[in-house]
Amino acid sequence: MTFDRFDRFHGLLLLLVAGGLVLLLAVAESGGGRSAAGVDKAMEQDLDYQARVAFVQKLYGPVEDLRRDGQLQQALLKLDELERRYPGEAHGFILRGEILSRMGVLAEAVASYVAALRLNGDYVDARSPLSRQTEIRQLVDDGLRILGGQARSHPENVSLAAAVKNVHYLQSRLAGGCE
Amino acid sequence: MNLRDFHLWIVVAAGAFLGALGVLLAVWGNPENSGICVSCFIENSAGALGFHENPRMQYLRPELIGFVLGAAVCAAGFREFRSRGGSAPLPRLVSGIFLMVGCAVFIGCPIKLFLRFTAGDLTAVAGVLGLVAGVWAGLKGLGGGVHLGSSREEGRGSGFLVPGFFLLLLVLFVARPGFLIFSGRGSAAQHAPWLLGLGGGAVLGALAQRSRFCITGGVRDTLLLGRRSPLLWGLLAFIAAATTLNLATGRFHLGLYGQPGAHLDHLWSFLGMALVGWISVLIGGCPFRQLIKAGEGDADAGLVVVGMFIGGALVQSWGIAATAAGVSLVGKAAVLAGCLFVLGATLLFRERAPA
Repeated sequence: MTFDRFDRFHGLLLLLVAGGLVLLLAVAESGGGRSAAGVDKAMEQDLDYQARVAFVQKLYGPVEDLRRDGQLQQALLKLDELERRYPGEAHGFILRGEILSRMGVLAEAVASYVAALRLNGDYVDARSPLSRQTEIRQLVDDGLRILGGQARSHPENVSLAAAVKNVHYLQSRLAGGCE
Repeated sequence: MNLRDFHLWIVVAAGAFLGALGVLLAVWGNPENSGICVSCFIENSAGALGFHENPRMQYLRPELIGFVLGAAVCAAGFREFRSRGGSAPLPRLVSGIFLMVGCAVFIGCPIKLFLRFTAGDLTAVAGVLGLVAGVWAGLKGLGGGVHLGSSREEGRGSGFLVPGFFLLLLVLFVARPGFLIFSGRGSAAQHAPWLLGLGGGAVLGALAQRSRFCITGGVRDTLLLGRRSPLLWGLLAFIAAATTLNLATGRFHLGLYGQPGAHLDHLWSFLGMALVGWISVLIGGCPFRQLIKAGEGDADAGLVVVGMFIGGALVQSWGIAATAAGVSLVGKAAVLAGCLFVLGATLLFRERAPA
């Protein structure tokens, strides 16, 4: 294969542009490249997430206070009010699940946790500030023991079967995987 | 089966290493039962590049980079790198998209299918049956004259583009520019040390290039050749290695329920993997094999890889990907659309005898 003047010219141009690109990136890197690029999506995403977590914790603060004081019915009423303003917010479902669990309404508590996790998987993530991994593990243990036992005794009961299915979903989310 | 056949032992070694690395990468930090999963890794990498916005699925998986570059270096070293292509480019691109659809609905590629299976996940059984059914359907298609055409060797260098792209991804991974996203939570935040992922991936890529190892190829050759197929023994070595390590590391949990990254929609697990098996036979390999072939200079496989990245973005952005809760309506529709695509391709690409 022979290279004529056309090939040599374009080959030289290629080397010059490549060199210019390397030089540009090297200069940008030494002069604070990430900020010079003007784009840091990871940082933006992280800031958005921190702001969201802080907002959610502030918004549901009154509910948490009522729950801590043992005023569970009032806490549920406050949750209903917030859910009308922010339908589909996972944190509301999580708090509802915690309150129902404390009231001993196991199947409904499990259903609330399931609804929360379907919207936001952070609650099962040990690294997340919203993590409820310990509570969910306890709920799964209780669910398998109590609801599982009831379902085995009454296999024809559709609502018990659905409750056990929810427990298995929580169990699967705790196990991990790509989600 | 000729025990003196060196190729047989390379295939067995590749299968065993794939199974072992698949479990070990999960031990070292990758998500449970997802030590190696081409589809999950592509979804994660598409997210890292900003192709979708799921904040729990954004990480540029170094294993993918290792597969392609390991295959490229090995092919070049053994003078097997051939820039070739030109066979039905657009159908191959679309095939890549639907490969990802099938994998996302099952929640895993054929490698992860068997990793889940060897970890005792009985929900993978439907996927195994589906994969076998899909491969069978693909073989029937090939036998009936369905042919996407042969790639041609060409000296234009298009085969360098995909290895070049993955080399660029390696540079980006190391340099970490601001537009690259790495999840701080979720499954994408779970990863093995990057050097282990990259190095292991490169060794596996090289082994797979030498051995031509392919999961769906193993199923295909078993259906055609039975015990004479070297790929069958590679697949069995994979299963043996993965099962042994899962048992040794306490990751074997036999059952249907509570399995990581699994759902109970068995029909759609079957159909998703059937779609993957069917397409894989028609285009000449599973998602992993497509990456290896792209590393060898096969531009047709490179287009499949591009299609898989597009598919990886779509399955996350459009809610096609299944979750532990099950398969969404969009996911079911996407699988059926994929079946329509394969059926249409079967009719359009069939070489018929002249009347």
